[in-house]
Amino acid sequence: MIDVIESFVEILNLKDVEWEIYWESGRSGFFRIECEIFDCFQRKFYFGIGLRVGLNGKFGFFYIIGIYYFCLEFEKFVEWMIKLVKVSEVFFRGFFVLFKVFEVKGIYDRKIEEIFFEDVYVFVFQYVEKMRELKEKEIFLGLIFLVFERYGVVNFNGVEFEVFLMYMGVFVYVVREDILGNGLFYQSYCFFQGIEVFEEVIMKVKEDVELSVRVKRFEFYEGEVVLELEVVLFIVEVFFENFYGDEVYYGRSRFFSFGDRVVLEDFIFLDDLMFEGFLGSYFFDGEGIFGQRIILIENGILKGFFFDYIYVFLFGFKSIGNVVRSFRIVLLIGLSNFVVEFGKEGLEDFEGIIIKNVFGEYIVNLVSGDFLFLVGFGYVVRDGEFVFFKDNMFVGNVFDFLKMVEFGKVIKRIFLFMVLRVKVYVKIV
Amino acid sequence: MEVERFIRFVEELVRKYGIGYYEIRILRVVMIEVFMSNGQFRGFFSNFEMGIGVRVFNGVWGFLSVNDFERFEKVIEIVMKIVKFFWGELKIYIGDFVVDDVEMFVKRFFFDINIEEKVVFVKEIDFMLIGERIVNRNVFYCDIVVEIFYFNFLGSEIRMVVFRICFGFFVIVKENGEMQQYWKSFGGMLGWEMVEGIDIFYWIFLVVEKVRVLLKVSFFLLGEFQVIVDLEFMGFFIYEVFGYVVEVDFVKNGDSILVGKFGQKIVVDGFIVVDDLIFLGKFGFYIYDDEGIRVKRVEIICDGVLVNYFNDCEMVQYFGFELNGYGRVQSYVYQFFVRMGNIYVEVGDWLFEEMFEEVKYGFYMIGDKGGQVDIVNGIFIFGVREGYIIENGEFRKMVCDVVFLGKIFDVFKSICVIGKDVRIEYFGYCGKGQLVFVDDGGLYLFMKVFVGGLK
Repeated sequence: MIDVIESFVEILNLKDVEWEIYWESGRSGFFRIECEIFDCFQRKFYFGIGLRVGLNGKFGFFYIIGIYYFCLEFEKFVEWMIKLVKVSEVFFRGFFVLFKVFEVKGIYDRKIEEIFFEDVYVFVFQYVEKMRELKEKEIFLGLIFLVFERYGVVNFNGVEFEVFLMYMGVFVYVVREDILGNGLFYQSYCFFQGIEVFEEVIMKVKEDVELSVRVKRFEFYEGEVVLELEVVLFIVEVFFENFYGDEVYYGRSRFFSFGDRVVLEDFIFLDDLMFEGFLGSYFFDGEGIFGQRIILIENGILKGFFFDYIYVFLFGFKSIGNVVRSFRIVLLIGLSNFVVEFGKEGLEDFEGIIIKNVFGEYIVNLVSGDFLFLVGFGYVVRDGEFVFFKDNMFVGNVFDFLKMVEFGKVIKRIFLFMVLRVKVYVKIV
Repeated sequence: MEVERFIRFVEELVRKYGIGYYEIRILRVVMIEVFMSNGQFRGFFSNFEMGIGVRVFNGVWGFLSVNDFERFEKVIEIVMKIVKFFWGELKIYIGDFVVDDVEMFVKRFFFDINIEEKVVFVKEIDFMLIGERIVNRNVFYCDIVVEIFYFNFLGSEIRMVVFRICFGFFVIVKENGEMQQYWKSFGGMLGWEMVEGIDIFYWIFLVVEKVRVLLKVSFFLLGEFQVIVDLEFMGFFIYEVFGYVVEVDFVKNGDSILVGKFGQKIVVDGFIVVDDLIFLGKFGFYIYDDEGIRVKRVEIICDGVLVNYFNDCEMVQYFGFELNGYGRVQSYVYQFFVRMGNIYVEVGDWLFEEMFEEVKYGFYMIGDKGGQVDIVNGIFIFGVREGYIIENGEFRKMVCDVVFLGKIFDVFKSICVIGKDVRIEYFGYCGKGQLVFVDDGGLYLFMKVFVGGLK
């Protein structure tokens, strides 16, 4: 534990309250390339704690940053906090008591921690050179960032954990100078990525840009359509908000009891926070509770929700550790690695209409699940020939969709999601 | 605060490494937040934050942020070294030397209102929202004081203190498996007087009534129609559609439909879009931007012609425009970027009733429900909070889950009539991955647009 946290713990132990400290100490590097010119870098150092205090069944929260500077003020803040807790009325059930932790493998790459900030420039300039080499009629924007962080939880009940988070992010955005057409790619990795990844990413986005300039408006169609992973992700994102325990508790979710049929039989949706080599994996969550695999839907039946320590108590279940945390926020219930288990349909060679991405995610009615998307990019495959289209609309309801969808076999990763192609019946206008 | 010591230390490093440009921002934020759901407090926070952001320039930007003052001196030198070594080809505009101290005035400073009173206020609103079929009620309140101390290599020293307050409520109703939502929020660069000036009973009654009616209606139709949008929807529309495409960094990267449109007519005659950064009381208010540039009222569209882009010190040098002070950041942690402030449309000469009479068959749209703009291809799609079908100048029926979509230039050219009433009071937070304070405003507008329904 960091020295300053130890001194805070000593102060808190003298007060007649229950307490929990969530702390973070980290550094990050960010490099930006605009119009194939390296134009900006950023070095960020941060250190902060989020303190939760419980008293007489109520709790309060505040965060402090620049801890060394505020060391002398800490006791004053705690006194202010105790005063606030007395009027807060926020329900408090106590803090977590430890019983076991599982180790997750393959989520640390020491190269990300150990590389000198100055040395990253070698990679940045290689990236710039690669963009210049591959440039034709496009403008490139690129970002690289590296993050190394230590974070931990200490609480009144003796829970004391500390782990690392390290990752590398790569972002490429490409726009055609002479004609309408653009494309982008973003992914975070647990491992340091070499120049070959940048080249692969740039070529992939260039290919998307070239396809996007060849689109036409498509006429009315009603029938089977295959949705690519990005579109499935849009739909799943609307769906999974209904699994958050607080949303269920406060009546904002479509779901309220286990055992309801919510999708077709045979399909499994789960959240696996012990996925080896994946960024969403962790040893313990933001409250110090060990993580585990959660089945949300099994054989089409609702089996689980995401919980924090309070809502799991209010529902009367056991703790499962789904809290996402930063020292600036009290806590959030969230997912880790969301997985749609594969189905039986071989959709990889599907001939017909395929929608690759859509536009309009923010106007989905999250409570009813109704949506109207504009097709960002789609194509028709007939006898190996491709015709590209965009700007058509398709309308539906996420919950109805999931009751009739057919899942593909090949599962792929996008951000924190493991998803696959699906086949649905839709109207495109 | 040891500001003098920081200044001296940075000046020594600048001399040592021969760096031509630096600027430092020290930020101090004090904030209270209260959040309640279904009668239970879910959040009750009192936060304090302080940190330093440093920018240095040597043909390439170097940026450092640190919230630990002890570490500051150790890491700033690394940034200087790197910038010196990796010089680049960028050029920037250098502003004037400024010394100023600005503390904004509010009638009732919210720190003078004790915390118990704020808690009671939130509880009372929650209680008033209880009602039949309402399965979810949320009430939030937040007040925030931001103090910024800025200094740079020219010797400029600016201190600015701004107060902001916001609160709102949100309800969901449920019946026979159907769910609907409605909300209202308020915010500004104001004190507790904003809360005292609101007719809470009126707004609660309106929100509860509207959400119940929405539960009973449905809508599925697609086509191009005559549409009148209300002040709130228009504010959102102008903010979303213009807010990004006139940001000159997007123009530079070829990423805006307004590339090459400067000086051209892009909207109908008589259409004026303004961004007034010094509009007192508005959420997006500021006097100096985050690059220490004094700001003003900026006309973006004048009589339908694009006459300005939002710019900052780097972009103004690149394009040769007049600097207008849109270099902004969410806090000391973030990179600078170009972003709007208080954007709105200037008044026309039509009354709402006069517009209404002109509609043969069309829609009246009230409030937004979020949306998305493709700024490269100029396509937008927005949700509407509530809509009404109008036939021969009369209301026919209410509709829900309406979608409003089209191509930006086509819609601009379809504007037939501009209303007389203008209101700028639809606050928010927005930015390219950051959350900066903004406000928008609108008026009644009559245009032709594509309308769709989700149900």
